[in-house]
Amino acid sequence: MKRTSSLIENLNDGSIKLKKTIISVNFENKMFRNTIWYKSLLGAEKSCLKEDKIKKVHYKFEDDREMVEEYNVDTQVLLRRAWKVKSKLGGDGKWEVEIGDPIPDPTPNVEIADIVESKDQPIVTRRNTRVNLEWRIRNLPYPISTYSISANNEEKCITVRTTNKKYFKKLQIPELIRLGLPIEQAHIQSTHQYNTLIIMYKKPQQLLDMDKEWYEELKQVKPIKDVPNECKAQ
Amino acid sequence: MASIAAAQVQEVRSITRIERIGAHSHIRGLGLDDSLEPRAVSQGMVGQKMARKAAGVILQMIREGKIAGRAVLLAGQPGTGKTAIAMGLAQALGPDTPFTSMAGSEIYSLEMSKTEALTQAIRKSIGIRIKEESEIIEGEVVEVVVERAAGGGGARVGRLTLKTTDMETNYDLGAKMIDSLLKEKVQAGDVITIDKATGKINKLGRSFARARDYDATGQQARFVQCPEGELQKRKEVVHTVTLHEVDVINSRTHGFLALFSGDTGEIKSEIREQINSKVAEWREEGKAEMIPGVLFVDEAHMLDIECFSFLNRALESETAPVVIMATNRGITRIRGTNYRSPHGIPLDLLDRMIIVPTTPYSHQELREILNIRCEEEDCQMSADALTVLTRVATETSLRYAIQLITTASLVARRRKATEVSMEDVKKVYSLFLDEHRSEQFLKEYQDEFMFDDGAGGDNAPQMMEVSQ
Repeated sequence: MKRTSSLIENLNDGSIKLKKTIISVNFENKMFRNTIWYKSLLGAEKSCLKEDKIKKVHYKFEDDREMVEEYNVDTQVLLRRAWKVKSKLGGDGKWEVEIGDPIPDPTPNVEIADIVESKDQPIVTRRNTRVNLEWRIRNLPYPISTYSISANNEEKCITVRTTNKKYFKKLQIPELIRLGLPIEQAHIQSTHQYNTLIIMYKKPQQLLDMDKEWYEELKQVKPIKDVPNECKAQ
Repeated sequence: MASIAAAQVQEVRSITRIERIGAHSHIRGLGLDDSLEPRAVSQGMVGQKMARKAAGVILQMIREGKIAGRAVLLAGQPGTGKTAIAMGLAQALGPDTPFTSMAGSEIYSLEMSKTEALTQAIRKSIGIRIKEESEIIEGEVVEVVVERAAGGGGARVGRLTLKTTDMETNYDLGAKMIDSLLKEKVQAGDVITIDKATGKINKLGRSFARARDYDATGQQARFVQCPEGELQKRKEVVHTVTLHEVDVINSRTHGFLALFSGDTGEIKSEIREQINSKVAEWREEGKAEMIPGVLFVDEAHMLDIECFSFLNRALESETAPVVIMATNRGITRIRGTNYRSPHGIPLDLLDRMIIVPTTPYSHQELREILNIRCEEEDCQMSADALTVLTRVATETSLRYAIQLITTASLVARRRKATEVSMEDVKKVYSLFLDEHRSEQFLKEYQDEFMFDDGAGGDNAPQMMEVSQ
């Protein structure tokens, strides 16, 4: 619906522009279907589980990687995406969260994790909304004027700097990299409140389209009805 | 009570700070020159030239890494430097070659079968060098703080502040990391990297910003730029892990369920086979390199017949390390049988070994060793005291003479002397009995001791060997 309304707006602008837009829309709007990412999603072995208002999807890709996504059924927003990262030497991998709050470790390995950031140090979490990609950096007490947030297309990331040289971070945007889209400075917005710096990046049309289409696609994966008891307990 | 607790804490702290002096801590290598010829006195090694030359040849064999599963036996009287040679070999090989040291009797006190203990020891002695992406923290040290939690005897709490030109972060440290930071003597102004997965610390140098500090920076202090950008980076690092570590990582796949299944630390043979084939695959693809190391079994006569026959078989495997054993026994019973054999080792295993003998030290060599030990134990000794001590070493044993060094220096310190004199050595000689005088004493007064059977110690050697 939204797309047609924007078309109408363009129509008012002038007929020449209209033609261009139609061509580009037709050409661009399904471009994500040709990306390796979308194809790998299609090719992955998927299983689905519905729990209250959350739809959990497990992907097993052809190259043996594993990913889990959690969607809010009402808003269709992706709440969490995590990858299973295995070390080269084998062993059971750990879940690395790409989007959403980190999963607390039930059995912290005291032997290995001998050096960790203090609790009061800045920590980045991803939390996307329907229209924005969002980063929340907690424990950053400095005022908004301290930060400079810039798009870095060479390294395909957003760079956060502080004038007092206390914090520096390169934020990766895997969503854009997967679709091969550039990062545009104009789409970046930020606010600072309650010691938290929130950086928002407006989702490009391509990504919105893909999110929508993929959610439709996921409806074909039938949720598992009978969850084994031992799984429910957790 | 509180003051006693505080005193104890103080004591514990001082021990962890000081580098302790062990029986072989003066050994820094084999003391060979580039053509593997032994120098008379070098790297803490004295005399024993033939044995050291032999060890040099073995060193070369290990370094080339082509030959697997050779066994070497160091045989000689007590106190002739067998363990010292093995330690020297370990030092000469460097930290990248796995060197596992165990005592023969160790395998009986573990909660696993003897062969499992040996297999683990063997697999600990084989290293795999593999490239892996790892989280690296790289930055300049702003501050290291280590303090003990309130309440006395509590766990130590450590905090490390690191910075780059763009940022600064505080880290909380665990006990192990505190120890290794102290050991590496990391201080403010150093530029270091820490491997987050293994906790390995690497000092890159001093920061240029600290170049003007006139504190005691050694001559070889290297100055480097403070790193840029983020503190934490992902980097390809070459790791050296042992086969045993890979085994353990993969055997814990069932997570903490392993805790309930009565995990005794034994590793299933299927897992080992799986890993062997995986490692072979990596080697073929050029992803990994195998570093055969050394397994050193001290007091090898304490192994029993089962272990020996297991070793016979294990040495034939392609992934076997070089096994070095040391024993001070002559022809004696093989543990677990009634047969007698040289060194208490079965003939078929002896046949697979190359035997390096060590011989008793000469008078001059003993003096040299005692001199080195005096330096190591930080003790000034006068020439005549050293002569007396050397005499003690010739007449009793080298170990006893070494025991007298620190005791004599304590006596000397009591009378506020800076140097240990002959009188001090004589005094401790009269205070502490050596093995021979103790025996004499027992023989004289044995009927006054309890449980004496009056046989004059004839039964004693037998008693020692019944323990199975």
